[in-house]
Amino acid sequence: MPGVWVFSEKKELNLELLSIGQKLSSDLNQELITFCFSQQEAEDYIKAGGQKVFLLPEKEDEVPLEVYAETFLELAEKEKPEVFLIGATLRGKQIAAQVASKLKTGLSTDCIAVSVENGTPVFERLVYGGLGVQKVAAKSRPAMATIPEKTYPRAELGERQGVIEKLTQLVAGREKIVATKPRRSEALDLSEAKIIVGVGRGIEREEDLSLARDLCKVLGAELACSRPLAEEMNWLPEERYIGLSGQKVKPDLYIAIGISGQVQHMAGVRDAKLILAINRDENAPIFKAADYGIVGDLYEVVPSLTKELQNALGG
Amino acid sequence: MPDVVVCYKWVVDERDIRVEKGELVFDRVGYKISDYDRNAIEEAVRIKEALGGTVTAVTVGPSSAQASVKDALQRGPDSLYFVAYEGELDSEATSLILSRVVNKLNFDLIILGEGSADVYAQQVGPRLAQKLGLPCLTYVNKVTVAGDKVIGERKLEGGIEVKEAPLPAVVTVTPDINVPRIPGLKAVLEAKKKPVQQLDLAALGLTEEDVAPRYETLSLKGTSTDRKQIVWDRKELSRLVDILIKEKVIA
Repeated sequence: MPGVWVFSEKKELNLELLSIGQKLSSDLNQELITFCFSQQEAEDYIKAGGQKVFLLPEKEDEVPLEVYAETFLELAEKEKPEVFLIGATLRGKQIAAQVASKLKTGLSTDCIAVSVENGTPVFERLVYGGLGVQKVAAKSRPAMATIPEKTYPRAELGERQGVIEKLTQLVAGREKIVATKPRRSEALDLSEAKIIVGVGRGIEREEDLSLARDLCKVLGAELACSRPLAEEMNWLPEERYIGLSGQKVKPDLYIAIGISGQVQHMAGVRDAKLILAINRDENAPIFKAADYGIVGDLYEVVPSLTKELQNALGG
Repeated sequence: MPDVVVCYKWVVDERDIRVEKGELVFDRVGYKISDYDRNAIEEAVRIKEALGGTVTAVTVGPSSAQASVKDALQRGPDSLYFVAYEGELDSEATSLILSRVVNKLNFDLIILGEGSADVYAQQVGPRLAQKLGLPCLTYVNKVTVAGDKVIGERKLEGGIEVKEAPLPAVVTVTPDINVPRIPGLKAVLEAKKKPVQQLDLAALGLTEEDVAPRYETLSLKGTSTDRKQIVWDRKELSRLVDILIKEKVIA
């Protein structure tokens, strides 16, 4: 039986997929089907609109999540879903690509919008580092897409009926998890921040982040950064890097300090109401992507700005 | 001694694209080896420097992408396969073509960038692995080849995951895995002598139909919002603060 399928290993994200899934299932007149890891999740997903919930087979801890690509494949070849939406986590994106490859179907990565036009699933996504938005109509089935967190609101739980079916067989893969290590991370929601101060490679030493932190304190702002500061320098946790593959934010004010203005970074702040840039290089692309720019050495400009703000705001 | 295949894409340089009245303007654009693929090439070359073996680069693109051959070989691969195709290719088609090329080669490991700098679909690596029936480690920022195994490390939302897979395998890498070298004069001169093999769809047993896109593009629009682009020097800081208050973005 076809249907609109949704899956994410993250419960909050799966609830978001169920909300857009409900819309698609009604537009396409298809059953809404999802997947889960526990009986509790199954019940919640039914309350969130899932008409059928497949309980995935258990796996050993050392078996990577991607092993479920085979589970989806086998089921998809039998059930022939019309749409398959997967949460755009790193593992979700790998699973989606492997499933799409076997089914020789299209897949839209990191979609920002999903809809139905003339009975056909339509996906929108960013291209060229975030400069462009491409809208495509799926020509193959299942129409597949991965969708990042917070693209859609969570489905509300209500009293609904649904069927739970247990899947038992797990096809063994050849990859094995040999270690997991915790990493520095924090529960943080930059998407709600009103003011964000972003730092980039113009900051020369880790201890100089204090300049930006002082500015944050005066403004009640959150500190964020460009991708290299989180990934290469490890100065800030990854939850704080803004960009196409990182956080997307929509503050009233974004202050970019020592950030050159790479297209991919700016894709994360395009919904900011006002962008202020501080950079030593007057030719830095950030000045074309900002409302106000100050050309100057951030080591002089940022402390002065902090002081000016302190005086003005009486903090 | 591992034989490594590295795949790359020749892409439009997004820094040269302008957005005018909501439209993307592509006149005067330059091209480049996709940034993430430069990390992939660098990683392949480092593995060869550490363990021996060979590095073979593979690319598919329009004939204008021939301009990439010299650039790619200067970065260290021993040889290169160029598949010419003029039309638009989606990830399914690209991975199908690459799988046919790779099947002609001896290899232990295939390395790709996590995604391409233009469309960033992040699919070609895992699709290629699936078509070749190989294990796949995606988004890794550390790769170790140890005997007949490859070990890859990646940062997930909850922590770092270290995975291991038997060779041959496919790996996709993130930009923080290395800093690609700038080719020196010696590398530039050597690149001219390296073998380049030209292929087309027919040589790979494929037809136009096999590589037709799985979607129809309905529209492609520019996204950037118009910014004021007012640039001052630091003497204007207090004026700036007044504006921020007037704009009600700080309080």
